[in-house]
Amino acid sequence: MRPSRRELVKWLSAGGISVSLSHLGLAKEAPFAAHETLPGRGNFNPATKGAGRVDGVAKVTGAKLYASDFRANDLPGWPQATSHAILVRANDATHVYTGLDLARLSGALKPSVVITAADLDRIGTQVPEFYAGDLFCPVGKSPLYLGQPVALLVFEKFDAFDQARLVLRDGTFVKFGEETGPVIAPDYGSFRFTRVAGSGPEKPDIYSPIQAGWVSPKKVQNAALPVWSPLAKEMPPDYAKAAKHGEQIRAELAAENASLLVLDREFETQSVDPMFLEPECGLAWYNKGGNLELVLGVQSPYEAAESIAHLLAKARGPYKPAHINAQFAHVGGGFGGRDHTPFILYVALAAICFPGKPVRLAHDRYQQFQGGIKRHPIKMRSRIGIDRASGTIKAFAADHVLDGGGLANFSANVAVVAATGAIGIYDIPKVDVTTVALHSRGVTAGSMRGYGTLQTMTALEVLIDEAASELKLDPIEFRRRNALKQNGRTMTGNPYIVSVRTPEILDKLEKHPIWQQRAKFKQGASDRLVGTGVACVTKDYGSGADCSLGRVELTADGKIAIFCDHVEMGNGIGTALANRVASHLGTIADEVSVARVDSYDALGLVSSGDPYTMDQKTQDAAARNPRWVPAISSATSASIGAHVGTHSSAEAARVIFRFGLWPAALELWRIPKTDARARQWASAHWQNGQLVMPGLEPLALPALAATAHARGFVTGAVAHSFSRWAWSRAGFPLFGEQYRAEIDALAIRRGNGKFERITRTSVKFPPTDNNRIGTAYTSMCGTLVRVEIERATGALRIAKAYSVFECGTALVPEVVMGQAHGGFAMGVGYALLETLPPFEGGPGNGEWNLGRYLVARGSDLPLRDLEIEMLKPLTPDEEPKGMAEVVMIPIVPALINAIDDATGHRFRALPVTPSLLKGVLA
Amino acid sequence: MTTLSLTINGQKHGPVEVRDDLSMNDFLREMLGMTGTKFGCGAAQCLSCAIIVDEPDGTSYTSPTCIAPAVNFDGKSIRTVEGHARDGQLSALQKAFIDHFAFQCGYCTAGFLNEGQVLLERLARKPVPREALEQTISDALDGHLCRCTGYIKYHEAVRDVILADSNRYLIATK
Repeated sequence: MRPSRRELVKWLSAGGISVSLSHLGLAKEAPFAAHETLPGRGNFNPATKGAGRVDGVAKVTGAKLYASDFRANDLPGWPQATSHAILVRANDATHVYTGLDLARLSGALKPSVVITAADLDRIGTQVPEFYAGDLFCPVGKSPLYLGQPVALLVFEKFDAFDQARLVLRDGTFVKFGEETGPVIAPDYGSFRFTRVAGSGPEKPDIYSPIQAGWVSPKKVQNAALPVWSPLAKEMPPDYAKAAKHGEQIRAELAAENASLLVLDREFETQSVDPMFLEPECGLAWYNKGGNLELVLGVQSPYEAAESIAHLLAKARGPYKPAHINAQFAHVGGGFGGRDHTPFILYVALAAICFPGKPVRLAHDRYQQFQGGIKRHPIKMRSRIGIDRASGTIKAFAADHVLDGGGLANFSANVAVVAATGAIGIYDIPKVDVTTVALHSRGVTAGSMRGYGTLQTMTALEVLIDEAASELKLDPIEFRRRNALKQNGRTMTGNPYIVSVRTPEILDKLEKHPIWQQRAKFKQGASDRLVGTGVACVTKDYGSGADCSLGRVELTADGKIAIFCDHVEMGNGIGTALANRVASHLGTIADEVSVARVDSYDALGLVSSGDPYTMDQKTQDAAARNPRWVPAISSATSASIGAHVGTHSSAEAARVIFRFGLWPAALELWRIPKTDARARQWASAHWQNGQLVMPGLEPLALPALAATAHARGFVTGAVAHSFSRWAWSRAGFPLFGEQYRAEIDALAIRRGNGKFERITRTSVKFPPTDNNRIGTAYTSMCGTLVRVEIERATGALRIAKAYSVFECGTALVPEVVMGQAHGGFAMGVGYALLETLPPFEGGPGNGEWNLGRYLVARGSDLPLRDLEIEMLKPLTPDEEPKGMAEVVMIPIVPALINAIDDATGHRFRALPVTPSLLKGVLA
Repeated sequence: MTTLSLTINGQKHGPVEVRDDLSMNDFLREMLGMTGTKFGCGAAQCLSCAIIVDEPDGTSYTSPTCIAPAVNFDGKSIRTVEGHARDGQLSALQKAFIDHFAFQCGYCTAGFLNEGQVLLERLARKPVPREALEQTISDALDGHLCRCTGYIKYHEAVRDVILADSNRYLIATK
């Protein structure tokens, strides 16, 4: 049972509006043949040899690629002129909003249209549940949060827009009256995760969330925080049961017990901005035919289309489009901040209210700071109990309070992931964690790389370091003694279903020269202090309801095209797709289209219900419809690019091989179907673009493709897959046999025919009880860092660092290493540089930009002294594992631990700035 | 309004009337549709908007465009990301960026490309010793922000282009 991520809106049709979605191609083709840009065409898996990525040429030649690059005259059939909109936001959330000082925009600066809360009533919009709250603060109310929009201004001409935006920047355009104090609103979600293990690893748990379900306390009105006591009035019985166990754990930690080392510590993290470089942007045109055309750049394309369709589904007459066509571009960085962003709703509104004219809405950086999704600040109190004699952790209890800001967004989900990640890599038999995500007047917080675990694992790894120090145990040895082993149970009571390589990582850390030489370097020079820190973490990938769509086509001359619904946000999904499909079809694709959401009609998919909260009976009933799936498309997030994003295309390619290229090979080898070798497709493999089978002549892909086309074998396939901590599996009747695979929908093309849906004859979706799992997919990463701190100034330099991580099979090793570098840099920024004040004086005032907000530059990093090691997969066919989040996390606590080693001061709040360091050195 | 004429990637533009307070970034992106030059912060802090300005004496420098009025570029010759490749052939630095997987989302790439190219041309005119190369690259690129990559592969790409033609960019050691 995971909190609902979205309301139940069908993307195909909402309120009588038809919806279509498509990929946005390059407006202007670069003057290079596309196939030349693909990584090392003709070579097997050439990206492993550093031959580039599929979007390489477009990105180094400045091709139009991002949503912010497009204007109306770049798009076929659109008018030539582009109008521009400004989203005006409140810079106060404790006084009554009284209106706009529109007199300042007179003459040439007068907006063509002003859209406010009053207009929404006239239009008849309905806010999607996920974004619940006033889209615009109405006159007479205090804004729900700093940065809440109050109006959209649309300017027909660029010059008027350009000059008006400068006029508005001084922050006095939005008028306020009487002081009211901040708006009080209920919390976004509160949960308690309690586990009491049995008497041994093989014994069943006495209590766990996987057995008993996830629990929440009763909502108590007029209380800032939930009442966690099991004895409170009318507490739900399931909660009371968990809470009794939890309180018992806390009582044991509080009891006098000389054999137990108990540490009780607080840790606090800050608000930060994802600071992706391309500010949010969108372009929309509501044309005379009643079609709403959109160009957007988001991580969640289906959700964006769903939400806009819902927004306008009950709109009155002229404001209700007959059709919505959304096109999706590459995004200039995401890090979670473009997953379920309300920005897209305002893009649609601007166009609907200015019909016939294409309108562009683009944040500048001030506006992006003011309105963009932030990372949650978390206040944490943690208690840990360790048996002094054995050095093993016996119990852990924690209380987390997240500031979710003005809108709910993903706050409840982040709270859950943060809590279930709170014991990191460790095997702890008694755990009790409460968590609540609160509303505040701060800018809305939501999804961001690390998704709450960055905060909780930082607090944990700092606590673990302190515990090792108290016990006089080597920090790595202490971690090794307590690390969760393969098949051990996580906090929710389930084991991971993927490899657990913590011991190997700890061994690597221990043997590394940075660790081995820490005492020698600690002596340092007289003008600076030197310290070494270590941390090791694990981070889930996947959200518990992830899916992907893939289509692969093979031409008669052996050219491959791939279409995928996941979005390219720099993570190299296109190149990963090319490589994963190449493992089945022998060569790199000639065309890879990502963010492509218009290519799977042949599957005829339908969906209903919420995959996170659905019960088994409902799922079983729905699954009787052979076109039904629990979800059609999910956001590109949660580090699922490699594992999920490429899965359906890989399975589609597998079908082409098995029912297209393999029978073609048999024909060319003149092997009859009755020959035993006809079923030995698993023994064949690709080598330098040729299919190789022992004792037979190698066959080139073009020859196989030509035969497959000529004989009407399978030359194209479309597949859908769904994962709820396990893949769906289905059977399909294909050429006289039952083909079973980890997909739930399939269509094939024979020769040059049309795609035809293959009706599944059986399906097994992962059980809905899997929704009680916190996570089952996880990756590990450990980091060592040596810092030097100038005694006089507190200036910190990272002298050397080493990170070691595992990710199963790396589809594009260069991209994986690049993500590891980038994660390290973002972690350094989080630990030492980045911070936003929460309320007044924070980004909601519209006055924040880079320069004031510091992110890591090259000179902040050990560019020549950072060593990253990617462990080889355990087996040659180990599935790829998500790694883009875990690589960011351990550097943060490792730095705090290194600072403690150098200074003797353990910081318990982030970031640790030079001025704070100077303070403790004084 | 001011009349603006300038040369962009070897092609003459103008004369054209522009507002005095129109930024160079908006001139390129809104008036000319040349969106290869990006908008990142509007405060000259990230330099994703940087272009190359070529001086009459053959030297070049990069300039942010987000805070610079377009009229400041009257009579100047500039280069943008769209102008690096010639006759369908990528420059050595463009190729190196691709080969090294230097970028991820790519939004900062134009700025890094321009800065790296100016560095290459400066070193061609005034080589540095090998031992000064790392600091030279760091000094040149440090103003540019990248949120995806951690910078290492950008630096490696620039370094490799220089080392591949060390006679041109580095002072020969005896």
